Amino acid sequence: MAEKKRAMFRVVIDGSQEAIFRELTRTDGLLPAIFNSRMHTTGLKPGGRMQMRTPSGDHVIVDGDVLEYDFPRRFAHTHRFTTLDDPVCKVTYELKPVAGGIEVTLTVDDMPAGTKTEKEMTKGGDFILANLKAIVEKGRPPLGARVMYAMFGALEFMLPGRTKAAHWPLEKTKETA
Amino acid sequence: MKPDEMDAVFAALAAESRRRILDILKKEPGCNVNRVCEFFDDIGRVAVMKHLDVLEGANLVLSEKVGRERLLYFNPVPIHMIYDRWTTEYSAYWAGRLARMKYRLENAPIQINRKKGGSRG
Repeated sequence: MAEKKRAMFRVVIDGSQEAIFRELTRTDGLLPAIFNSRMHTTGLKPGGRMQMRTPSGDHVIVDGDVLEYDFPRRFAHTHRFTTLDDPVCKVTYELKPVAGGIEVTLTVDDMPAGTKTEKEMTKGGDFILANLKAIVEKGRPPLGARVMYAMFGALEFMLPGRTKAAHWPLEKTKETA
Repeated sequence: MKPDEMDAVFAALAAESRRRILDILKKEPGCNVNRVCEFFDDIGRVAVMKHLDVLEGANLVLSEKVGRERLLYFNPVPIHMIYDRWTTEYSAYWAGRLARMKYRLENAPIQINRKKGGSRG
């Protein structure tokens, strides 16, 4: 069995806890903090299904189940990249007021060591929190992220066929390996 | 990042021992203080704990209490934000290429010096 790892990321953001939580969980618009994805869900409550899709909704990048949803404190879901066959891991966002703002901690549990999932999650964690901070404090993500999102939009047709939404029904409960 | 937060990050990074601690935590996320001490011949446990406090104060290290143990994680977000401040897409590409060329030509990966002896937890 592959060794399972944890990674943690933390940032303090000067903003309202509710606004920050919404930047991570909104379902009525894009999530510029999280790779400009659009969250599709059967309901943000334990047992609900959730997916991070491309802005068009045509491709699924991440598929998961909601584990915890406690507005505006905690949100946890299982996380599986649709492009990879790695075991699922768990993502938890925790928000807490501290001196100077809201402390946001992103924890990734059960990362299968040595896999591409581990690599992507380790890179993705600080990207998400740095973006989140810029969005809340300055009103938009940093230039690098904006350039990246423009490229994503232009290159959506290049995503592998297995990411097509038809292959990843939202309603169906997938057994998790 | 506010100026005083950034000061704390640079001050924390301005010591080789503390940079080595980050290397160790990056490689072994969730290890405890004893484990970190195993990598140092030259400084003792008290000094390592002091360095960890400085790193934690700069938000470069996160610690989590599990039972009687304190588990340690490297937090890359402050370094990412320093990178964001002075890097553009264009400069990232060329600076990255030059940096990789330097690593390759000098054949100098960042080394973690291991202290000889058994591993304890």
